[in-house]
Amino acid sequence: MRKTRLTAIFAVLLLALASVAVAGCGGGGDSTSSGGGGGETSSESGGGEPLSVGSDIPYPPFEQGKPGNYTGFDIELMEAIAEKMGREAEFQDTSFETIFRDVAQGKFEAVISAATITEEREQAVDFSNPYYLSEQAVLVKEGSDIKTLKDLDGKTVAAQQGTTGLELAKEELGGSEIRPYPEGPDAVNALKAGTVEGVIIDAPVAQNAVEKSGGVEIAEKVPTEETYGIAVAQGETELLEEINKALKEVEQEGTYKTIYEKWFHLEPPKEIESETHEAE
Amino acid sequence: MSEFFHQYFDFTVMGDHFSEVLEGFFKNLLLFAVVVLLALLWGLILALIRQLPGKKFAPLRFLTIAYIDVLRAIPILIILLLISGGIPYLEFIPKDIRIPHWFGQPDPFWYSVLGLTMVYGAYMAEVYRAGIEAVPGGQFEAARSLGMSYGKAMRHVVVPQAVTKIPAPMLNEMISLLKDTTLASVVALGEAVLVSREILAESFNSSAVILAGAMFLVITLPAARLVDVLIKRNQAKVTRGAHIEVG
Repeated sequence: MRKTRLTAIFAVLLLALASVAVAGCGGGGDSTSSGGGGGETSSESGGGEPLSVGSDIPYPPFEQGKPGNYTGFDIELMEAIAEKMGREAEFQDTSFETIFRDVAQGKFEAVISAATITEEREQAVDFSNPYYLSEQAVLVKEGSDIKTLKDLDGKTVAAQQGTTGLELAKEELGGSEIRPYPEGPDAVNALKAGTVEGVIIDAPVAQNAVEKSGGVEIAEKVPTEETYGIAVAQGETELLEEINKALKEVEQEGTYKTIYEKWFHLEPPKEIESETHEAE
Repeated sequence: MSEFFHQYFDFTVMGDHFSEVLEGFFKNLLLFAVVVLLALLWGLILALIRQLPGKKFAPLRFLTIAYIDVLRAIPILIILLLISGGIPYLEFIPKDIRIPHWFGQPDPFWYSVLGLTMVYGAYMAEVYRAGIEAVPGGQFEAARSLGMSYGKAMRHVVVPQAVTKIPAPMLNEMISLLKDTTLASVVALGEAVLVSREILAESFNSSAVILAGAMFLVITLPAARLVDVLIKRNQAKVTRGAHIEVG
């Protein structure tokens, strides 16, 4: 008798736990909302139809925040671009796996989601001129002798599984023991703990670690071939031209630099600006 | 459906990366071999402390029971993360011990050895306990009445009988341990799962992960059969009036 009662209590406890977990996940759905970031942009632009934009949120510092108040580098840049187009950006949180299919099918007009321009994706959607050039950073302990990527050759180096940083490490550091950690912060922790001597990781992530965790510094930044673009459905030439034109204006006015510095605490790389202009 | 097979059962991908995954799997086997030896020993020590009689040993018994309960109650993943992330910070420990690179193995290997031994020592202590408790009390009493000390009675009479009762459950623990060596991927040890996930990241094809799973099957499936054989053999002994295995 006693045993069955205990079992019953356990079952009830487990059920309660499970329901709490389910309720916890219920938040942050895919609600539509106009972009946050203060909302100063929206008051001026009122003119045209809202521009619906898909993004996989959160992916800080590119996109973050709660529904109705999204913010981040991509979000603010897209708001500035939309403003130049005389429209108001309206963001829709969506899953990255299906984001290109959805824009191709017209679920939203554009995608800004830290999306690298690849040949594969270009077969499904059209990309704007690159608006972001991804850089890798060599993160080391504060006061380390390591000043460049090459200095790490022969040392123990950490990176994140499946990232450009890991590929770079494998290509450039033949004599090193390279440890792929499941998450970026694990790699940074290994550096702080002293089990590895360097971490190769996306520059914004490295900068974030320098500011938030301390004890580490960026020794060198290495440009990669990767650029991010805004995606639209194929054949939307007019829309794409408008976006490119607005992007160029945003850059020339210095708004791009302001937003870049706000989110990455770094100067924008020179290459990205020239590239954006050339590609016209 | 064909997409599913292409994603998970692409034999070309498996063939291309066979040697890489196999090399990773050898890491699992090596980790397993080291941990199994240490955990068998550590588990026995824990079980024996737990059996110590009298008021004098009550605090030690309590600590051991607490250790066994807590270690069995925490996910191994968390223990590994804590050890590999935390121990290097303990600066009062000499660097060669805090960040070990013994016998040509990197520190994630030794952190995994420590974490898995701590946990599997606790699991195995429970198996030993079941074995010890299955030895009829009369055996111990008879040994003592012959003038053996407590230690001698345990060493020469109780434990030798206890271990003959537990091969099947112990082998089950070992099968679990072999599978759990894959958790070392979380501390960036280049074992089979980590290697195959790297291949997934490069090729966008999951077949290497399935290949890693197949390598485990080659060992664990015969081992599972062996457990059954051991249980059957034991039952045969019972019918002949011999001792009883637990499990």
